[in-house]
Amino acid sequence: MNPEALVRPELDSGVPAGDVLLAFAAAIIGTDQAALDQARAALKAALGPAAVVGASAVAGNFSKNDRVANGIGIPIDDMVFKGTEELREQLGLNDYKSAVNTFRHL
Amino acid sequence: MSFYADSDYPVGAELDGAHAAQFANFARAGTWGTAAQRLAVISEARQAGIDAGLLEAPDDPGAMPDAELSQAVCDVIRTLAVDCPDFDQDTYQAARDAGLSDPEFTELVAIVSFVVNLDVFARGIGVPLRPFSEPQAGAPSRVVPKEAVLEQAFVPSIPNVPDGGDVANELYGGHFKPWIMRSLSLVPDEYRAHVALEQAQYNPLPKVMVYDYSHHEGLTRPQVEIVAGRVSAINDCFY
Repeated sequence: MNPEALVRPELDSGVPAGDVLLAFAAAIIGTDQAALDQARAALKAALGPAAVVGASAVAGNFSKNDRVANGIGIPIDDMVFKGTEELREQLGLNDYKSAVNTFRHL
Repeated sequence: MSFYADSDYPVGAELDGAHAAQFANFARAGTWGTAAQRLAVISEARQAGIDAGLLEAPDDPGAMPDAELSQAVCDVIRTLAVDCPDFDQDTYQAARDAGLSDPEFTELVAIVSFVVNLDVFARGIGVPLRPFSEPQAGAPSRVVPKEAVLEQAFVPSIPNVPDGGDVANELYGGHFKPWIMRSLSLVPDEYRAHVALEQAQYNPLPKVMVYDYSHHEGLTRPQVEIVAGRVSAINDCFY
């Protein structure tokens, strides 16, 4: 899996139907209803109807977690922080506004 | 009857039950908010999503709120619901300045996050947003766990075992829990609701580190992580 595709979705994720999943993930939390309808149909065609349910559940769950994390102002856990220096740099995660919730403790 | 009986897509019993249970939770008094206040909070969050074009207004919204929220509290709810990347310590302070205690704020963050989750799911499978139930009578319990301390978040939390004592043992099952799970522990009932949704929608907690396990029919674990990671990238969530 190429994690850079998470922030640059035009890249190949290296995951089967990754492009379809990336499009669905963006559309489900976006404002374009037609794009969502199209992404849902493409996901169903690529991976089947159960995948639409699973992807929706995961997208909803992480919509929850992102709000819980930013709302409560939690830092990332030490072991994750220490093991992701290169990845955070590669993906530009350190530039996210919510990164301060971790960096203010260093 | 299935909570998602109108879905063209096969929603399993675990997910269906977890969502029905959370909607029922919304309609009950919480630890800090009355049922009417909780309905007002989730209604404001949903309306923010509709106003922002992120959700389609349902024909049947269900129960309508009659508890009033201050403009300052509404602003906090709306920021969390639709401007998640911009929610920061100043927003938290605005909530405190508006009169919310830390436990009240924690419950607010929980139920706003939960309703966004459930509304995103409904939108994903192409069904109308589920109607809210009429608020039930009952008083908030207002129980603060004595083990909660200010660690590294905006609000106090229950530390991992052994520092968190008996309540950590009970809540966390004696195991280490990452910040994302412990974040709502100042209000244990919301922590439990958070865990229930997490297990139904992502992975059972004992399976989170088992990378060849997928909880979702039709998706491998890497495919699940593509969706999770892309959503969090769009939300600029460092965690």
